Amino acid sequence: MTWLIWRQHRTEVCVLGLLVGMFGIALFVLGTQAHDLFPGGPARCAGETGVSEACAASFRRLDEEYGYVENLLAAFYLVPVVIGAFLGAPLLARELEDGTWQLAWTQAVPRMRWLAAKLAALAGVTVALTGMFTAVLTWFRQPFDAWEGRFQYDAFDLEGLVPVAYALFAFGVATAAGAILRRSLPAFGVAFGAFLAARMSVALLARPAYATPLTTMEPVPVGGSKDQAGHRAVPGFADWMIEHGYADATGRRLSWTEYYELEGAANRAGTNLNQFLHARGIQQFGVYHPADRFWAFQLIEAALFVAVAAVLIGVVVWRIRRRMI
Amino acid sequence: MTETEFALRTDGVGKRYRKGWALRDCTLALPAGGVIALVGPNGAGKTTLLRLVVGLLAPSTGTVEVLGHDVTASTPQTLSRVGFLAQDHPLYKRFTVAEMLRFGRACNLRFDQGLAERRLAKLGIPLDRRAGTLSGGQQAQVALALALAKRPDLLVLDEPVASLDPLARHEFLQVLMGAVAEGGVTVLFSSHVLHELERVCDHLVVLNHGRVTLTGDLDTLLAEHRLLVGPRTATDVDRAAAVVQAVHSDRHTTLLVRDGGIPAAPGWQAQPVALEDLVLAYLRRASEPSAAVTSGVAV
Repeated sequence: MTWLIWRQHRTEVCVLGLLVGMFGIALFVLGTQAHDLFPGGPARCAGETGVSEACAASFRRLDEEYGYVENLLAAFYLVPVVIGAFLGAPLLARELEDGTWQLAWTQAVPRMRWLAAKLAALAGVTVALTGMFTAVLTWFRQPFDAWEGRFQYDAFDLEGLVPVAYALFAFGVATAAGAILRRSLPAFGVAFGAFLAARMSVALLARPAYATPLTTMEPVPVGGSKDQAGHRAVPGFADWMIEHGYADATGRRLSWTEYYELEGAANRAGTNLNQFLHARGIQQFGVYHPADRFWAFQLIEAALFVAVAAVLIGVVVWRIRRRMI
Repeated sequence: MTETEFALRTDGVGKRYRKGWALRDCTLALPAGGVIALVGPNGAGKTTLLRLVVGLLAPSTGTVEVLGHDVTASTPQTLSRVGFLAQDHPLYKRFTVAEMLRFGRACNLRFDQGLAERRLAKLGIPLDRRAGTLSGGQQAQVALALALAKRPDLLVLDEPVASLDPLARHEFLQVLMGAVAEGGVTVLFSSHVLHELERVCDHLVVLNHGRVTLTGDLDTLLAEHRLLVGPRTATDVDRAAAVVQAVHSDRHTTLLVRDGGIPAAPGWQAQPVALEDLVLAYLRRASEPSAAVTSGVAV
C-alpha cells in the first residue's frame, strides 16, 4: 500500500513540497535578516520600546525594509486550502472518474483498509507540509508580532495551530466532495469555496465570542492628542480590540452621532476637545480580548475546524463502508 | 450439492438506486466450473449484478454468496478468490505496465507475477509502456492478465469485449478460454453480443429490466426449446403455457415452445432453435409487462 499511495500521489506531494520549500526558504532568508535587527531578540526589545532608542530604530527599520513582506503574507491565507484540497480532492474522485475504484477495491486489500491507509497518509502529508510552513511563517513574524501583537487577522490566521486545522478542514471537504461529486476539479472548487466561507464567517462572527471579552472604562484624560486615534482605551497594543467608543458619566455608551455632536459643540465653543469631554465626565471604553488568550483562542478555533474535518471524513468512511460508492 | 460447489448463489437480491430498482428478485444458483454468460440489453442490470457479486456494491435486499461466502464480509482471503475485470477495463493510465503488475503484487495475497509477465510477453505488450498509451485491446489484455494473475477461483468480467475491435475481441476470448482450459476457474461474464456466446459458454443467465428471465445450462435450454412451424392458427396460442413466443405471418405461425421435445402435432414441423433466437424471444417476452418469468431450471 505504501508504494501504491506514493506512486499515485507523488505528483501532488512533490509539487506542494517544492512550493512549500521555495516559499519557506525565501521566508527563512528574509526572516534571518529581519531577526538580525534585534540582537537581544524582538520580544525583549518590544518591552523596552519608547525607552530604548535603539529598539525604536530597529522597529522603524523593520517596517521600512520588511513591511512589504508582511503585506505579502496575506497571500498565504490560502496555503492551507491549497495543500489540503490538492491532496484531498483526488483521493476518491480520481478513482471514481477513471473507474479504477473497481480495480482498487477488488484486489485482496479490503476497502476499509485501503481507505484508512490513504486517509492516514494524505492527511499526514497535509499536516506535515502545513505544519512546516506555518512554523517558518510563525518564526518569521516574531519581530512583527512583538510590535503589533498576534491577535490581528494577519497574524492569528497564519500562526500557531490554526493553519494546520484549516488544512485538515480543506482536506476533509475536498475528500467528501470528491466522494459525492465523483470529479476531482469540482471537488477542489467546492473545497475552495467552503474554505473561504467557513474561514470568513468563523473569523468575523465566531472568533470574538470564544470567550467573554473584557471591558475597560476610564475618563477621557485632559491631555493627549486631539484626534480620536489618540484616545485608545485599550490597555495593551497586543490585545484584540473588538469595539471601542465613548460613554457618558453614568457609563451609557454614546452612539457615534452623539459623539460627533459633542465634537461639534467643542469646536463651536473653541475649547480643546479633550478638556471639553473631560469636563462633561465623558468616558472612553474598550471591549477587548487580552493578548494572553492567544493560545486558548488558537486551541478553540483549531478544535472547531478539526471537528468539522472529522465529521466529513466520518461521512466518507460511512459511505464507503455501506458500499454506497 | 454442497455449498461450495456453487460459484454464486443469490437469494431475492435487489438493488435500488436513487432513481429506482436496477435489479429485483434475483435468485440464482450457478454451478462452479465452466463459463457462465450473463446476457441482456443495455440497462438490464448486468453491471449492477456483477458489482454485487464482486462486493463493490451491497444489495438493498437479499443475500449474495460467492464460493460459499457472504460477499459483504469481504476479507483478504475471500477477495483474493475473486477476480474482476470491470467494463472498459480500467487501469491506472499513468502507471507503466510493470507498475500495474507491481500494484497487483502489492495488493494481493497470491499474485503470480511470472504468469502475468509470460502472458504479456506472449502478446508482445512491453512492460515499460504507460498503460494509457496502449491500444484498447492491449489495455484489456493487461487488465485480464492482472485478474488472472490473482489466480482467482471465480473470474467476473463485465462486457469484456464490447469496446474491442473484432480482431482484439477474438484474441481476448482466445486468451480467456485458454485460461479456463488450464485451470479450474469459473468465469462469469456479461455481454450484449449474442453470436459469439454459443462457442464459449456452458451456462446462460438472461437478464432484462432488472429481472432474471431465463437461466439454465445452455445445452439443456437448447434441447428443451424448439421452433414449431405450421399453418396460421386462429387459436390464441400466445397464452399456452409452453409457448414462449408466437410469430404469425400471412400463412404460417412460428411458435417457440419449451415442451421438452414431445412429438409435434400433425401439420407442424419441429426445428431446433438457435441461441440468438432463444435469447431474443425471452428478451421480447420480458418487455411485455405481464410476462416476467422466473425459470426453475437448474436451481
